[in-house]
Amino acid sequence: MALEYSFRCPLIYGLHARPATALAELVQQYASHVTLTNERTGTTADAASVLELVSAGVLHDDPCRLVILGADEAAAHKALARFIAEELPAQDLPLPEPQPRGAATAPRVLAGEEIACITGIAASAGIGIGRVVIVGGLALPEELRAEAPADAEVELMKLQAALNGVCAAMQAQLARSASQTEAAILRASLAIVKDTAFAGQLNELVSKGRRTAAQAVVEAVQSFAARIEATGSAYLRERVVDLQDIGAQLLERLGYRGAAAEEVMLTEPSVVCAAGLAPRQFLALDRRFLRGLVLAGAGTTSHAVILARSFGIPAVVGVQDALAQLAGQEVSVDANRGVVLHPVSPAVRRFYEREMERDRKRKRRDACGVDAPAMTRDRRRVEVSANIATDAEAASALANGAEGVGLFRTEMLLAERDTPPSEDEQFEVYRRAVEAMQGRTVIIRTFDIGGDKPLPYLSLPREENPFLGNRGLRLYAEHGELIDAQLRAIARASAFGPVWVMAPMVSAVEEARWFKARVAQAQGELSAAGVGFDPHMRVGIMVEVPSAALVIDLLSIVVDFFSIGTNDLCQYFLAVDRGNRQVAALHNVRDPAFLRLLKIAADDAHRCGKWIGVCGEMARDVRNTPLLIGLGLDELSLSAPEIPAVKAAVARLDSAECRKLLEQALACDSAASVDALLGKLPSTEVRLPLVSKELIVLDSDSRTKEEVIKELADLLYVAGRTDAPDQLEEALWAREAVYSTGLGYGFAIPHCKSDGVGADSLAMLRLARPVEWGSLDGKPVGFAILLAIRESDPSDTHMRVLAKLARKLMDEGFREALGSAGDAGVMLALLARELEINQDEV
Amino acid sequence: MKIVAVTACPTGIAHTYMAAEQLEKTGKALGHTIKVETQGAMGIEHQLSPEDIRTADVAIFAADIGVEARDRFRALRIVEVPVQLAIRDPKAVFAKLEQ
Repeated sequence: MALEYSFRCPLIYGLHARPATALAELVQQYASHVTLTNERTGTTADAASVLELVSAGVLHDDPCRLVILGADEAAAHKALARFIAEELPAQDLPLPEPQPRGAATAPRVLAGEEIACITGIAASAGIGIGRVVIVGGLALPEELRAEAPADAEVELMKLQAALNGVCAAMQAQLARSASQTEAAILRASLAIVKDTAFAGQLNELVSKGRRTAAQAVVEAVQSFAARIEATGSAYLRERVVDLQDIGAQLLERLGYRGAAAEEVMLTEPSVVCAAGLAPRQFLALDRRFLRGLVLAGAGTTSHAVILARSFGIPAVVGVQDALAQLAGQEVSVDANRGVVLHPVSPAVRRFYEREMERDRKRKRRDACGVDAPAMTRDRRRVEVSANIATDAEAASALANGAEGVGLFRTEMLLAERDTPPSEDEQFEVYRRAVEAMQGRTVIIRTFDIGGDKPLPYLSLPREENPFLGNRGLRLYAEHGELIDAQLRAIARASAFGPVWVMAPMVSAVEEARWFKARVAQAQGELSAAGVGFDPHMRVGIMVEVPSAALVIDLLSIVVDFFSIGTNDLCQYFLAVDRGNRQVAALHNVRDPAFLRLLKIAADDAHRCGKWIGVCGEMARDVRNTPLLIGLGLDELSLSAPEIPAVKAAVARLDSAECRKLLEQALACDSAASVDALLGKLPSTEVRLPLVSKELIVLDSDSRTKEEVIKELADLLYVAGRTDAPDQLEEALWAREAVYSTGLGYGFAIPHCKSDGVGADSLAMLRLARPVEWGSLDGKPVGFAILLAIRESDPSDTHMRVLAKLARKLMDEGFREALGSAGDAGVMLALLARELEINQDEV
Repeated sequence: MKIVAVTACPTGIAHTYMAAEQLEKTGKALGHTIKVETQGAMGIEHQLSPEDIRTADVAIFAADIGVEARDRFRALRIVEVPVQLAIRDPKAVFAKLEQ
């Protein structure tokens, strides 16, 4: 009787609303009663209640114990163990480090200006200029206290009506939501409204405590808020705003106006300032006019901040009284540096407009790579696609540069329902995904279910060892209607765009044959009914059972393509359960034996003229990219947010070098040796020539030394040669402090060695108007030539360039040639020749 | 005159070489024989040999930091000037040699 499961909380911000919601939803699928005990604090929570889970105050690394008691406790235990090991760690979107207070200062260029600089903490990057609009916070009315309830039954009904009303409104908003972040946050709020412990306390307060509905709401909210405040986690405490907002909404429905903050209508570029902002309030703001957000609360992980980041709205937090005195005035929110400046004088406007232009250029450059097809340095194509589980993710996949969907996991369609999804329902989902991908291929995997994932409408008997049991394709024969409905739905969707279908868990050739025949049967039925489908839809299989990897040639006679599921393939191959902490470390896709298996599969597939891709987690780790390129795989499919990084990794690699590297890896005797081999590859910076046309500006309108130095650093930033232009600027000023880099003759050579530099660079500004520099000869500067060197640069090639430049500048002829160069191309050629810079380094 | 010189500036990146360039050009223009050793970010370049030093009439140090291995020059008269003077007004540096 009663099973237990112990674990340490892997989440950096603790068990907060979103993962708690996912855990509670899983627990609710089982009849068993599950509790979670936080062994650090001794608190025990009903694991079916989101609010109780959050109130348990589970922080990062806290030891926790689940106790499961009930008829289906074994199944529940297995499911929970798997969830905690595999899904819980992935529940958090990584939040960028907030910059420490005290580092916030006004930009150097504006140092001389008569402006006020208010410091805060940068919470969501960007710059926004607009008029201050103050938004009121939440106020739970105090005057409710005196009322006495007429009738407990009536109050209970009012309460239920209010809960239903708020629930319905949130669900409507959720249905309208286009953003996954927004949806996740709304779902978390919805989970609080539906929370059994919350409802339980409300009911008790009314029926036993003789409170009015409104009083019960206020007390329940305060009670849970107090418990959450007591957990000592700044992140969890920020949930209190969400809870209070729900309280305010309930009170509104109970007839108490003014509990919730009034809706704010923005009519011009605005900066919204508030003590705190609930998600609902943020989402109600017209984003066409919302240029920035300033909050008094210092939390950088509140839902308002998360939403601001998700929508790209600059936000600065921790600003006392959030600009109360500045209502209606124009301010500049600099959420790159964590400051708010006012008034917006011409100099301030000029500075920020130049910065925003710089940021736009950089964004365009970053997006450039993302939309292009992935290609190695030696121009070998590799498809980089997305793994999705819902049709809604297709849009995000495209935005991240996905060239297709390499894996559409369909199990989501089966979850959280009492009856199987119909063919029509499924068809709608597949069709939406296909259409959203706008002509790019979508590879749909048929249901991958097994004894460890219970479904109420399918009798999947308990198994001793579900991973080696009746799962995936093996189940299809006995659940014919389910698979046939799915295959028909997929075939119908193939009429709307390119679709490939594949089966999971195939271990033998006759299984592949069976699947192919079943697909043909589904198509036959559609044909007979006059329903359209693509007769050329490709049929393939997942390679996740090791046996399949060794009979690729035989399978190639039957199927059209292969997709390697490295997660399960590696587990089966190395006999390691990733969820078992004792052995989890042995699961390593860079194990040479595993690499040999992959090579066999890849080589055989290509020898038989078949396409082979990879859709397991191995694809998303850029450490593995050189090996996957070396294997010659046709496609890498991974979660959408990681696609830009993988595409960038592909662009840096030479496929021939990767093939050589793979050969060496296959001869290694351990994963550690393979890692050492990978470590020797050139580090992350791209090999770029020292100078290029985009680093040369021949008509700069910078007016001061500060502007010149900033413009030079920004040139490198836009060109992708540094990610920290401010750091570069500071390094340049540090050098200036030693003594002026103005050499005389109208030339200055600001320079530095800094680890903010991604690639050694030479940049040049020819100034339209000479600028005071504090030069040796006291004369103003018409040319500024920057040399920025990587901190870790071992070679002195670039030092030689600067030495050469320094010497050349002593020659009048050279100075005149620079002055008369007509365009960036001419200037580049001149510099390359005179300074003997090798322009072939690409 | 036969002159040896050492240039050395704090960051060793640009001024060292500019000073060297100026001293070489101006020295030659004034009819002297001059060899310049640079002490910069790339270490010591065009290092003066013991022979160079032994046969020289005078040494110029255009340096804002200490010259490395300066005891090589203990037998020579040394004229020390700031790096900036060598860059801005090299003729003035040579004028000092006459004093």
